[in-house]
Amino acid sequence: MMRLLPVMVGIVFLAAWEFWVRWQGVPVFVLPPPSLIAKAFADNFPMLMSALWVTVQMTLAAYLASFVGGLALAILFSQSRVIERSLLPYAIVLQVTPVVSIAPIIVIWVGTDHVERAVFILATIVAFFPILSNASLGLRSVDPGLSDLFSLYRANRWQRLFLLQLPSALPALLGGARISGGLALIGSVVAEFAAGSGEATGLAWRIAESGLRLEIPRLFAGLVLLSLTGLALNFAVGRVEHLLLRRWHPAHGGEAG
Amino acid sequence: MLTLAGITKTYPSGLLALDHVDLRIEAGSFTSIVGPSGCGKSTLLRMIAGLDEPTAGTIAGRPEEVGLVFQDPTLMPWADVEANVYLPLRLAGVKRAAAASRIAEALALVGLSEFAHAYPRALSGGMKMRVAIARALVTRPRLLLMDEPFAALDEITRNRLNDDLLRLWRDQEFTAVFITHSVFESVYLSTDIAVMTPRPGRVMALHKIGGPPVRDARFRADPAYLEGCRAVSHDLEQVLKVPA
Repeated sequence: MMRLLPVMVGIVFLAAWEFWVRWQGVPVFVLPPPSLIAKAFADNFPMLMSALWVTVQMTLAAYLASFVGGLALAILFSQSRVIERSLLPYAIVLQVTPVVSIAPIIVIWVGTDHVERAVFILATIVAFFPILSNASLGLRSVDPGLSDLFSLYRANRWQRLFLLQLPSALPALLGGARISGGLALIGSVVAEFAAGSGEATGLAWRIAESGLRLEIPRLFAGLVLLSLTGLALNFAVGRVEHLLLRRWHPAHGGEAG
Repeated sequence: MLTLAGITKTYPSGLLALDHVDLRIEAGSFTSIVGPSGCGKSTLLRMIAGLDEPTAGTIAGRPEEVGLVFQDPTLMPWADVEANVYLPLRLAGVKRAAAASRIAEALALVGLSEFAHAYPRALSGGMKMRVAIARALVTRPRLLLMDEPFAALDEITRNRLNDDLLRLWRDQEFTAVFITHSVFESVYLSTDIAVMTPRPGRVMALHKIGGPPVRDARFRADPAYLEGCRAVSHDLEQVLKVPA
C-alpha cells in the first residue's frame, strides 16, 4: 500500500494535468498534455535514446573520475597535513566557482571541436567535491581506541589506511558518492547547455534545441528521461551503499538484504 | 618484571597528572591500580602500553607482546568476531590460514566459538567484551593491560567475566595489570593492589591480597577478602580527604 501511494499520486496528477490543459485550451507550446508528451517520446525514441546514451556515458565517466580523484586526494590529505593545507583552498575555489561561468574558457582550452571533453571536465569538477570532503571527513573519523590498538600492534601506514581508515570512512564516502552521482548528471547537463553548440549531441542539448524550435512536447519528453536517469542513478548508488553497509552499519540494520 | 620508576606526566596545559609514580609489578602477578577518577591511572596504563610517553621517569621490563583491553570493547564494526580477533596477528603479518588455529583457540578461551561469524552489533555488551579479551589474548601476551574493562557491564555479567578472567590468568600465566575504581572488584581479582591519590596521581599504598590459590564466589566470604576490602576502602577514604 505504502509503495503504491506515489504511483497513485502520479496517476492523479497526470490525469488532472491532461484534463486542465484540454479544458482551458492551453497552447501546446506553453504546456503540452501528457498524452502529447508520450507521443513525442514514441516518435523521437531513437533520437532521444542516442542522446540519452551520450549523456549517460558522460555522467558515468565524470562520476568515476570524480570518485577516483576525490578519494585519491582525500587519502593524500589524510597522509599529510602539509599537502592538505596547501591544496585544500584550491579545491574549495574549484567548488565555489559556478560551473557555468568557467564553461566557456574550458571549451576554448579543449577546443570547440571537442565539446565532449569540456563537458567531461566540467561535470567532474561539479561531482568531485562531495567525494573529497566526505572521504576526508570519513578518513579522520576513526575510533581513537582502535587507533590506539593499531599503534599498540605497530601497524604501518598502509595497514592503518586499508584496515582502519578506509573502512571507517566507508559510510561517509558512500554518502558523498550518493550526492556526487546526482551532481555528475547535473554537471553533465549544465555543462552541455553552457558548452552547447552543434557538436553537442547529449540529452541536454536536445532539450535546449527542442526549446529553440518550440517543439515543447519533445522538450518535456527529454526532461522526463533526465529525471528517470537521475532516479536510476540514485537508486543504483543506494543499492551499492546498502549492500556494503547492511551487515554492520546501524543505519542499515532493519532492512532485509 | 615491570618496573616503573619516577613516572611523571605533565600535560601541555601545565596540569601535573602523575607525580613520581614508583611501582614494581611482579611477573605472574595480578596487579590492580585503584583510585578515584582523575588520578591518572588510565594515563599510567597507556604509558605501560607504550601509547604515551612519560614527561620524566622510566618503564623497564615491558615484554614484546602486550595485550590491551579498554573500557569500551573497541571492536571494528565492519568485521565479524573472527576478523576482529585476527587483527593483532594480521598486523604482525601472520596469514589467515596460519592464524586460524590461534583465533579458534582464543575464541574458545572466552566461550565464543559459536559466534565467530557474528558481527559486533549482534552481540551483547558482555560478549563484545569477551571478543576484546580474545583479541588481546590471541598474541599470547606476557602482559595483559586492562582499563576498567567491565565498568559498563551489569553486575551479573561483571561477576562472570571476573571469574573467567581469573581462570584465564591462571591458565595462560600472563601478568595482569587491571585498572578499576571498584574496591570489591580489585580485591576479588588481585594478588597486589596499588591505591593512587588524585591530582597529582601518586601511589599512596600497596596491598597484598592472600587467600586460596583458586578463587571463586566463596572467596567473597574469606577473611583475606574482607580484610583486603577494609584496608583498600580505608586508604581510598584517606585519599579523598586530601583536598584536591
